[in-house]
Amino acid sequence: MAVEVGRLLSVPDTVGTARWFGRLRFPILRTRVTGFALVVALLLLWECSARLGWMVSQNWPPFSLVLTATWRGLWSGELAAPLAASMARMVSGYLIGSSCGIVLGLLLGTVRVLDRFVTPLIEALRPLPLPALVPPLILFLGLDDALKIFVVAFAVVFPVVVSTVGGVRDIDEVLIGTARTFGASRARTLLRVVLPAAMPSICAGLRISLSLALVTTVVAEMIAGSSGIGYTILQAQYGLRPEEMYAAVLCIAVVGYLLNMGFVLLERRILRWHQRADADV
Amino acid sequence: MSAFLSVDAISKTFTVGKQTLSALGRISIEIERTEFVAVLGPSGCGKSTLLQIIAGLIPPTSGRVMLDGKAVTAPPRDMVYLFQQYNKSLFPWRTVLDNVAFPLEIQGNSSGRSVRQRCLEYIAMVGLSGSEDQYPWQLSGGMQQRAAIARALAAEPSVLLMDEPFSAVDALTKLELQTLLLDIWAKHRLTVVLVTHDVDEAVFMADRVAMLSARPSTIASVTDIALPRPRDTIATRESASFLSLRHGLLDTLLKKDRPGPTPDEVRVTMDGAAHG
Ligand SMILES: Nc1ncnc2c1ncn2[C@@H]1O[C@H](COP(=O)(O)OP(=O)(O)OP(=O)(O)O)[C@@H](O)[C@H]1O
Ligand SMILES: [Mg+2]
Repeated sequence: MAVEVGRLLSVPDTVGTARWFGRLRFPILRTRVTGFALVVALLLLWECSARLGWMVSQNWPPFSLVLTATWRGLWSGELAAPLAASMARMVSGYLIGSSCGIVLGLLLGTVRVLDRFVTPLIEALRPLPLPALVPPLILFLGLDDALKIFVVAFAVVFPVVVSTVGGVRDIDEVLIGTARTFGASRARTLLRVVLPAAMPSICAGLRISLSLALVTTVVAEMIAGSSGIGYTILQAQYGLRPEEMYAAVLCIAVVGYLLNMGFVLLERRILRWHQRADADV
Repeated sequence: MSAFLSVDAISKTFTVGKQTLSALGRISIEIERTEFVAVLGPSGCGKSTLLQIIAGLIPPTSGRVMLDGKAVTAPPRDMVYLFQQYNKSLFPWRTVLDNVAFPLEIQGNSSGRSVRQRCLEYIAMVGLSGSEDQYPWQLSGGMQQRAAIARALAAEPSVLLMDEPFSAVDALTKLELQTLLLDIWAKHRLTVVLVTHDVDEAVFMADRVAMLSARPSTIASVTDIALPRPRDTIATRESASFLSLRHGLLDTLLKKDRPGPTPDEVRVTMDGAAHG
């Protein structure tokens, strides 16, 4: 009985999180369905606006045509091939960038001398807009994969470094002291205490850089080279093929959504210990 | 032949910016193997600092600590320090079982029976059986302290340094844990240095009670506690000798505070008044 009352009044099982302030009393509104409903409504609006002539433009095809173009492109390979190429670059750049970022962050967070020498350099490089970096880099890395992987890795590294350093700095000295009193070596302490303790913060950085990696890949492909989904979008635009253009955008949106979802699932596994009991989510 | 654990003219001065703070004056004390020594002292007098220096976690400004004839310059393998903030010292990403397994992993000590089996024994010893798969934040304060003790025991130390281990648990749990610790101390023939600000606890548990003065602290007195063992939670506390020892110690503690309170104490009183 008590449970049911709790449900109806939307009383959280925990003392309260920040979300308590904005918590609504209608459980249905808190399910995933609500989020999808908004997307579906907007797509319907798109469809109607094109079909019923609310929006008259050569470049505004109905969503259903975009869907069929996507289907066609994925089967024929015209969309699938560039998408695969983009993904390969993105994933390589992301993996290289994030592993460098974690290692660098752990070092900067623990070795004070290194921090003093390297941090000013990082702070100087961080605000550089990446597209500005692409033309000079072309001179060294050419137009192909090497360039794009480098640019993606470069974009990914900073958020990961910053969040890793932040996580390492915030570690309570009691944890480190505990490792020491049990005789843990520096290396062991780094791997078994510092790394897991900083993991929530590291994951936050990894998640930000995941979407950054996708954006950077597409932008780099638009600026340089002749392959990848970014290039496909430009080609469709120049060739006045709006269905194909939107189809490519749709693919990127779906890929971005799936990547983020996959990341969240993975994060939940890794940080299972970090999820407090919040039965009311 | 010097004592098993000897603290030899330790002093500690902290420097923060241009300010220096002399926490410990010259402190010397000799502790025998399997002895149970309690250290009493007013808040902020440097009890944690002293214990961390003994543990080899921070270096003294002068003086030295010798354990079994060897100078302590880093945390020795058979000495474990239990942090005052025990809830922060448990690894939140490890379950109780994995926390207890930590010292075994570090020592590479996986011979004989399985690590799991041994950890479960330590967990049972502190009365935490059934909670081995829980994370620290799922435990109550008293259970967290039990987990921290189980983990310390898993390192199989000969010296246990405990920093106000029961000051944050409720009164009843405190009595239980005190008896539990005395049992473990006797069974494992441990040497224990226990820091506390609870006179009752010090007299109940220790063989000797060392009392520290205010900063820069020195050892004001050392009192032998000749109460018979095993000690009983209720009976020992009601015995005449317990009461007179407690009386004597409280008297010294309070007398020292009576004439002219230190600036720290004034601040504490004022804070108390502001909140009350
Ligand atoms: N790392 C440090 N840097 C500067 N001052 C410190 C440091 N550690 C402790 N102190 C100071 O040294 C003094 C003794 O601290 P300590 O923690 O040892 O006291 P304590 O007796 O354990 O106190 P409590 O009873 O509150 O636990 C305090 O005044 C504290 O402010
Ligand atoms: Mg203390």
